[in-house]
Amino acid sequence: MKKIFLAALIFLFFNDCFGQEQFQLAPPMLNYTSTFFKESTAVSLKFAQPGTQIFYTLNKSEPTRQDAAYKNPILIKKPLTALKAKVFGNGFLPSETVQVTFIKDGLKIKSIKQSTANKKFPGNGDATLFDNQGGIEDLHNKNFLGYQNDSVEINVTLEKKQPIHSLLLDFLQDNGSWIFLPQRIQVFYFDNSKNGYEFFGAKEIAPGTIIKGSSTVFEMINTGKKINSNRLRIIIEPLQSIPEGHPGKGTPAWLFIDEIKIY
Amino acid sequence: MQRRNFIKNTSLTMAALMVKPSIPLQQDTILGQGNKGYKLDTHWSQADVAKYPVNDCHEMIQDGKGRILLLTNETKNNVIIYDKAGKLLTTWGNEYPGAHGLTLFDENGTEVLFICDNKRHQVIKTTIDGRVLMVLDYPKETGQYTKEEEYIPTETAIAPNGDIYVADGYGKDFIIQYDSKGRYINHFGGRGSEEKHLLNAHGVCLDFRDKDQPNLIVTSRQQNSFKRYQMNGEYIDTISLPGAWVCRPVINGDYLYSAVLQTNARQGQQSGFVTILDKNYKVVSNLAGSVPNYVNGKLDEMYQTVKCFSYPHDVCVDDEQNLYIAQWNSGKVYPYKLSPVIS
Repeated sequence: MKKIFLAALIFLFFNDCFGQEQFQLAPPMLNYTSTFFKESTAVSLKFAQPGTQIFYTLNKSEPTRQDAAYKNPILIKKPLTALKAKVFGNGFLPSETVQVTFIKDGLKIKSIKQSTANKKFPGNGDATLFDNQGGIEDLHNKNFLGYQNDSVEINVTLEKKQPIHSLLLDFLQDNGSWIFLPQRIQVFYFDNSKNGYEFFGAKEIAPGTIIKGSSTVFEMINTGKKINSNRLRIIIEPLQSIPEGHPGKGTPAWLFIDEIKIY
Repeated sequence: MQRRNFIKNTSLTMAALMVKPSIPLQQDTILGQGNKGYKLDTHWSQADVAKYPVNDCHEMIQDGKGRILLLTNETKNNVIIYDKAGKLLTTWGNEYPGAHGLTLFDENGTEVLFICDNKRHQVIKTTIDGRVLMVLDYPKETGQYTKEEEYIPTETAIAPNGDIYVADGYGKDFIIQYDSKGRYINHFGGRGSEEKHLLNAHGVCLDFRDKDQPNLIVTSRQQNSFKRYQMNGEYIDTISLPGAWVCRPVINGDYLYSAVLQTNARQGQQSGFVTILDKNYKVVSNLAGSVPNYVNGKLDEMYQTVKCFSYPHDVCVDDEQNLYIAQWNSGKVYPYKLSPVIS
């Protein structure tokens, strides 16, 4: 017994001297061309490291080993589907969770006219904001309209007059490239009876701390009202003063937008 | 229990308690695939960090005596010389603030070093113990440069006849060829839209694996590739390594080793790994990276799988096939060692 105790102690001692720290797995790779879709979309995941497995959820909960193990591309149909995925493997700490929300098309849009974007970031033609292409966090992809204005005006015309209750706008957040979320979004709807625009809803976004890396962020505006119209006017105020902790502190930020949905 | 035994046990208990294991019973970390698997040791260096600090650890080589030389841009000790077990033997150099490239050359039986300093905009040839033998300034002979600041050399490769090839990897991406005395011969590469052009020509080496056709391999890091040239600078072909920001190619035996600074998928997020290619320039193993997969001869995008390296910058292969990994901007860590495992 004494010998076993001794052996265990020696083992612990040497194990600690020569033992290595435990490493974390990197997050899984997600493959998709856009986070926007019409009827459905398929997302493939990959992680080529033997002895590991990807687990995922579609219900906003943190993936565990008890959740679905990834095998084949995941078919996504529901309007706002948050896919969360994480890698587990023996001998390593589980990866961080990656999360992407897939966004289904809304009411049919006939046209969108917006303030002229910066020459370097002109987007991808007239339909840039409703082509179901976007959600890729690379400022150089053609999905984005880039602005360095005091305000950006966007006029949306729907295919027909119908009930409207909310909006979704998709932005790029890439603080390292001086791209921030806007500070305010205001929405107005065209009221036929008054032959003019009426206030519909608004959203204020407080500038948070500086965020590393690049991501797309969607902002929902749930107005709590239900109006009947075919025209909306959206006024976006880019962040006018970059917060503390950034080389651009106090100066105006860039605004990048790639998609608008009306519900 | 006899008293003598009790004392023994107590001292062992004390020893065990003093170095309390954080997570006991851990496995080794094994990286890589196929017959290129390695065990990781992050505590190889026995150097005292208070006396011998490092900043970015840029490159490493092994000399003829079997010693391991590390080049860092820490001017307290630009070159740290270790034995293979990680014991610090000696250090030298404090005049290389931009110490980046380190190449060893056997000059008629005497080993010499070539250091690329990207802050001094110079290439410096020294003895193995740091005595300066020659300094190459910016290559105005090429007609491509008007001031030294445009020239930011990152790497050298030395031909058997002593010709020096310098990669201007952070400058204008030219490869400049000199003779052994430092007289300009030729230049090629540079930026542009053709296949022969380079973008971030971070490394250069000579490949003698095919004895009939020696060639130069040059890194084009932002293009995620190596490009091959004949010794006279004529472009041969491109070895595409999708997703991988490869540093310099290092050839040992039949294999080519390279540190991957980071991946396209996760830029700026410490996403590096180490890649190994066979004689046919086919990736056979990724250490802390995805299993290489070729579909119809085309390599799939590669990415990091295990977060054990941050920004690996160079691989040194010793005479026992161990690897040493120097890292850039990785919290001033000393190099890691990887020992081959039989799979």
